[in-house]
Amino acid sequence: MIFVALEHILTHISFSIISIVITIHFMNLLVYEIVGLRDSSEKGMIVTFFSITGLLISRWISSGHFPLSNLYESLIFLSCSLFIIHIISKKSNHKNNLSIITTPSTIFTQGFATSGLSTEMHQSAILVPALQSQWLMMHVSMMLLSYAALLCGSLLSIALLIITFRNNIHFFCKRKNFLIRPFFFGEIKYLNEKRRRVFKIKNPSSFSFRNYYKYQLTQHLDYWSYRMISLGFTFLTIGILCGAVWANEAWGSYWSWDPKETWAFITWTVFAIYLHTRTNQSLQGTNSALIASIGFFIIWICYFGVNLLGIGLHSYGSFTLTSN
Amino acid sequence: MSPPLNPAKTLGGGPIPRTLFSSLLQPTFKSPSSIFLSNGRIPHALRIASKLNTSQDSKSRAPPDDNNSKKKKKRIVVFGSAPPVSEEGNGVAGNGEGKRAPAGVPLWGFFKRMPKKVLAALSNLPLAIGEMFAIAALMALGTVIDQGEAPDHYFQKYPEENPVFGFVTWRWVLGLGFDHMFTSPVFLCMLILLAASLMACTYTTQIPLVKVARRWSFMNSTEAIRKQEFAESLPRASIQDLGIILMGAGYEVFVKGPSLYAFKGMAGRFAPIGVHLAMLLIMAGGTLSATGSFRGSVTVPQGLNFVVGDVMSPNGFLSFPTQAFNTEVHVNKFYMDYYDSGEVSQFFTDISLFSLDGKEVMRKTIRVNDPLRYGGLTIYQTDWGFSALQISKNGEGPFNLAMAPLQTNGDKKLFGTFLPIGNTDSPNVKGISMLARDLQSIVLYDQEGKFAGVRRPSSKLPIEIDGMKIVIEDAIGSTGLDLKTDPGVPIVYAGFGALMLTTSISFLSHSQVWALQDGTTVVFGGKTNRGKIEFQEEMNCLLDKVPEIIVVDDTLNG
Repeated sequence: MIFVALEHILTHISFSIISIVITIHFMNLLVYEIVGLRDSSEKGMIVTFFSITGLLISRWISSGHFPLSNLYESLIFLSCSLFIIHIISKKSNHKNNLSIITTPSTIFTQGFATSGLSTEMHQSAILVPALQSQWLMMHVSMMLLSYAALLCGSLLSIALLIITFRNNIHFFCKRKNFLIRPFFFGEIKYLNEKRRRVFKIKNPSSFSFRNYYKYQLTQHLDYWSYRMISLGFTFLTIGILCGAVWANEAWGSYWSWDPKETWAFITWTVFAIYLHTRTNQSLQGTNSALIASIGFFIIWICYFGVNLLGIGLHSYGSFTLTSN
Repeated sequence: MSPPLNPAKTLGGGPIPRTLFSSLLQPTFKSPSSIFLSNGRIPHALRIASKLNTSQDSKSRAPPDDNNSKKKKKRIVVFGSAPPVSEEGNGVAGNGEGKRAPAGVPLWGFFKRMPKKVLAALSNLPLAIGEMFAIAALMALGTVIDQGEAPDHYFQKYPEENPVFGFVTWRWVLGLGFDHMFTSPVFLCMLILLAASLMACTYTTQIPLVKVARRWSFMNSTEAIRKQEFAESLPRASIQDLGIILMGAGYEVFVKGPSLYAFKGMAGRFAPIGVHLAMLLIMAGGTLSATGSFRGSVTVPQGLNFVVGDVMSPNGFLSFPTQAFNTEVHVNKFYMDYYDSGEVSQFFTDISLFSLDGKEVMRKTIRVNDPLRYGGLTIYQTDWGFSALQISKNGEGPFNLAMAPLQTNGDKKLFGTFLPIGNTDSPNVKGISMLARDLQSIVLYDQEGKFAGVRRPSSKLPIEIDGMKIVIEDAIGSTGLDLKTDPGVPIVYAGFGALMLTTSISFLSHSQVWALQDGTTVVFGGKTNRGKIEFQEEMNCLLDKVPEIIVVDDTLNG
C-alpha cells in the first residue's frame, strides 16, 4: 500500500514539475529569456529525473520484477533515458545543446505516459512466464535507451532539415510561417545561444553573419545527430541481438519475423543506411538528415504502431487508445 | 587489432605506391577542410576563406622553411597520403580504389577470377543503400500483408474488382509470394544481393583501408601538419612534454628526433570491417539454420513418453538426423505455478531422457526460458493442455475422462468434459459437465446445466450431484514441448557476439596526432574520423596542459 502511495506522490511531483518546466521553456521562447528561470528549469529537470527514477525503483520493489513489463513503464523508462542523455550531455560540457531536444521530448513522453494512457494501464502487470528471464532487463532497457538516443539524433536531423529549408518555406508562405514558428523554437534558441557565444569570443569574421551562424549551426546539428545516432545504433544492435538470444531461449527460434522484431530490424536498417550515407561526401548533409528523419517516424511505428495492433509475441505491450 | 605500427620502417618511403594515392590526393589538397563542407552554397564562403587563411599562414610563417620546401613537397605526397582514405570511412568504393586493390590474400583468392566490373558495381555505395531500402520496404510490406493465410483470405482481402491503391490485387500478392514474405524469392534474392554487396565492399574497400591505415607515420614538414583538421602551434614548448601528456590521455606515442606521432582508437577504424564480417557470419548461420535444422512439436500427457526421432521433421535439404534422435523422452511430471491472483506464473515439466538401451542419460525440470539441451537437441516448454480428469463415482473408479479444449474467444484456455448418466445410447444423453481453465480448479454443472460447485483436485472433497458422489482424484495435464536441432545457432551466436562487439567499437574514433619541434615552437596537428568536436575539445584541453618552457639563460644574462 505504501508503494502505491509513494508512486502516486512521485507521479504527481514529476508531472507538476514538468508542467512548470515546459511553461518556463515556452516563456523563454515566445516572450523573452530570463536567465534565472532557465537555471530553475534545469533544477526542475533534475528533480523530475530523481522522482521518475524513484518511481521506477518503487515499482521494482513493489512488483518484484524489473519495471518494464507494460507500455506505461516503458514510457516512463524512455523519459528516464532521455533524462540520462540530457544530464550526460550537460555534464560532459560539450556545447551541444542537446537539451533543446531532450527537454521537450521528455516532457511529451512523460506527459503522455501520465495522462494519455488509461489508469488501468498504470497498474504493474504480472509477468507472464515468457517474460521471466534475466534477459528482460538487458533487452528492454537497451531497446529503450536506443530509442531515446535515436529519437534525439533524428530530431536533431529534422531540425537541420528545417533550418536548411526554412528560407524556402519563408519565401513562399510567409503567413504560414507564423504558425510554424513554435516548431522552430529549438533552433531559434540555439541560434541565439550560438550568437551570444560567438559575440563573447569576438570572432573577427568577414562573412555574412547570418550565413556563418547558420553554417556553424548546421554543422553542429549534423555532427551531434551523427554522434547520437551512432550511439543509439550501438544500443539498438545490442538490444535486438539480446532479444534474439532471449527468443532462442524461450521459444526456440532466434528470429521469427514477428511484427515488432521486423520493425526493429527496419529501424536498424534505416539507421544503417544513415551511417553509410555519412561515409560518403556527396550524400552527407541534407541527404543523411532526410534518412534520419524517416528513421524518426519508423521508431514511432516500431515502438507504438506495432503495439497498437497488439499482434505477435510482443503483444503484452499492447493497448487500446482511450476514446471514451 | 593490428600489431603496433613501426613507423620507422615505413618512414623511408620505400615501397609505398605513390601512384595509388596520386588520384586520391586531389580532393584533400584542394580543400583540407572539405570534410566540414557538406552542402554547396553556404560553405562556399568559408572554403574561400580557409584557403585564404592558409595561404596567409604560410606566407607569414613559412619564410624560414622556404629554402627546403621543395624537398618537403615530395614528402608531403607520402605522408599526406592518409587523409583521403580516412575521410572515406567504410563501405565506399565510389572512386574505384577497389580496382587497384592488390589481390594476393589467399582467403579472397576466388574473387580474382570474378570480373572486376561486377565487383565494382556490387561495392557501389548507392547500390548497397538501395538494397537496404528495398529490404526495409519489403519487410514493412510483410508486416502489413497478413502472412501465411490460405489463398481464400487474399482473394477476399485484395479483390480484383476493388484493388487496394488502385492496382494491388491478390494476383500481385500471391504471384510475388508476398503471402509468405520472409521466405519469398524476391526477399531472399534481395538478401543474397546484400550479402554479395557486403562481401564485395569488404574486399574492395575495407581491406585496402586496413593496409593504408597501417602505413601512418611521422610527418616531417610543418606545412603538412598545419594542413590537418586541427592544427595549432605552441611557442616555447617541448615535444617530449607533449608526448607525455598524450600518453597520459591514452595515446600510443612514437617520437623520433624532432617529430612525434601518436594515435588512439585504432580499433575504431577496423571495427566496420568486423561489423560486415559479423553480418555475413549471421547470414551464413541463418542459412544453415534454415536448411539444416529439425523441428518438432508434441503434446504429451504426464506420465507418457515418446521417441525424439518420431516427432522431428527436417527443415531443409541439409538436415541430417543426429544420435540424439534415438533418445526416448519420458514426461515424469507436469505442473504449474500460480500467482495469488490465480494467473499462471510458470510451467514446469520434469523430463527424463533414456538412451536406446533404456538407461537414463539426463533428467531435468524445464520451464519457459530454461530449456533442456542434450547432444544438439533442445527441448523447450512452450504450451500446455488438460489431458484428462481422473474421477471416481460413488466410490467406483477411478475413471479417466478425456478433456477436450473448447473454443473461446480470447487467449485463455478452457477445457471441458462430460460424464454421461443413464442410458448412453439414447439420443439426448444427459450428464454432468465439468469445465476447467487450469489444473487448479474444476467447475461442475449438473444435468440441467446448473452450477453445482467447484472442486480442487488436490482436496479429494466429494461433491453430491443428482444423488451421485463424485470425487475428483486428479487432474492430468499435458505438456506442450517444442524440440529443435539447429546447427546454425553456434555460428549465429558467434556472429551476434562479434556484431555487438564491433558495433560498440565502431563508436570509438581513431584519432591521430602529429607534432614537430620547430626551434622552440611545437607545430601540432591532428585529425580523427568520427568524434571531431570531442577531439577538438580534448586537444584544446591537452594542449593547455603542455608546460611553457621559460628560457632560464635569457633571464640570467639579462
